[in-house]
Amino acid sequence: MLILVLLLWNVGEMVYIYGIFRKKQTLFDDRYTKTMCMALSSISSFVIALYLQLLLPLHFVTYFLPSCAGLWIGWKFGSFMKAPASLNGMYNGAIGGIMGMMFGAVLQNPAICNIPIETEASFTSTLVSLVLFCAALHTLVHHFIRNSLTK
Amino acid sequence: MDIPIWLFIYVDSCLFLICYLYVRKIKKRIGFQLGMNVSMVMGGMMAMLSGVLFILQFPFHFTYITMLSALIGMGSGALFGKLFDYETFVAGLTNGAIVGLMAPMIGTVAEMPGRFVWGLHILFAMVMVVILSSVIRS
Repeated sequence: MLILVLLLWNVGEMVYIYGIFRKKQTLFDDRYTKTMCMALSSISSFVIALYLQLLLPLHFVTYFLPSCAGLWIGWKFGSFMKAPASLNGMYNGAIGGIMGMMFGAVLQNPAICNIPIETEASFTSTLVSLVLFCAALHTLVHHFIRNSLTK
Repeated sequence: MDIPIWLFIYVDSCLFLICYLYVRKIKKRIGFQLGMNVSMVMGGMMAMLSGVLFILQFPFHFTYITMLSALIGMGSGALFGKLFDYETFVAGLTNGAIVGLMAPMIGTVAEMPGRFVWGLHILFAMVMVVILSSVIRS
């Protein structure tokens, strides 16, 4: 439930930023767009792949969905730039998606990484605190980017 | 194998401070392209080193160490990026955060921690040499 609320919040924030960039994309120079798209695509695809991995059940169809979502986010953010430079956004989005999938898998089953976790309560508290921390990071980076738009 | 982790942390933070002070002294001569690369590399390397070393020292606090290494990576990337430009600031912050979230996992799965830590420090020394030589030449 908490993860669903956080997913909706982060997706809303991302769509808002995407709309702003779509509207104003002719105003920015190349370097600004490249840096911002790199930052946005990596952190957004990381967080959203993490949520998708935690929310969806393990199944053959949904197995590759988080990394594909990361790739798609990177592609959409990369499409502001000219064609060869949009590869940068796709690359960062795919890296973020795969990393988010890995992080979600480790949070679901800490024995993959030999992390000693004793009880069910400490497992849940680990999951909730790390997910909240990732949401806070996403909000912080988007706050900085919105702050740079007003300058 | 016994590795002196606190010594490694101390040496790394000293090297980081020396590099930061040196770059701050000659920041007028560094272009923004090099500045962006310097902030990304230093944020990523500091996040990686702090995550691996802290998780080897305290293996039972995965949550706090993930948060701490992400914050250290963000802080060091932002510190280097703040010298140059707002865009280098955002790039260093994001890169440090992503690497810092990943670093404790690689520390826990490392089979031979001693050799892994030595390899990381060789990589760190090479990165320092490359950064300082390119900064001096610019």
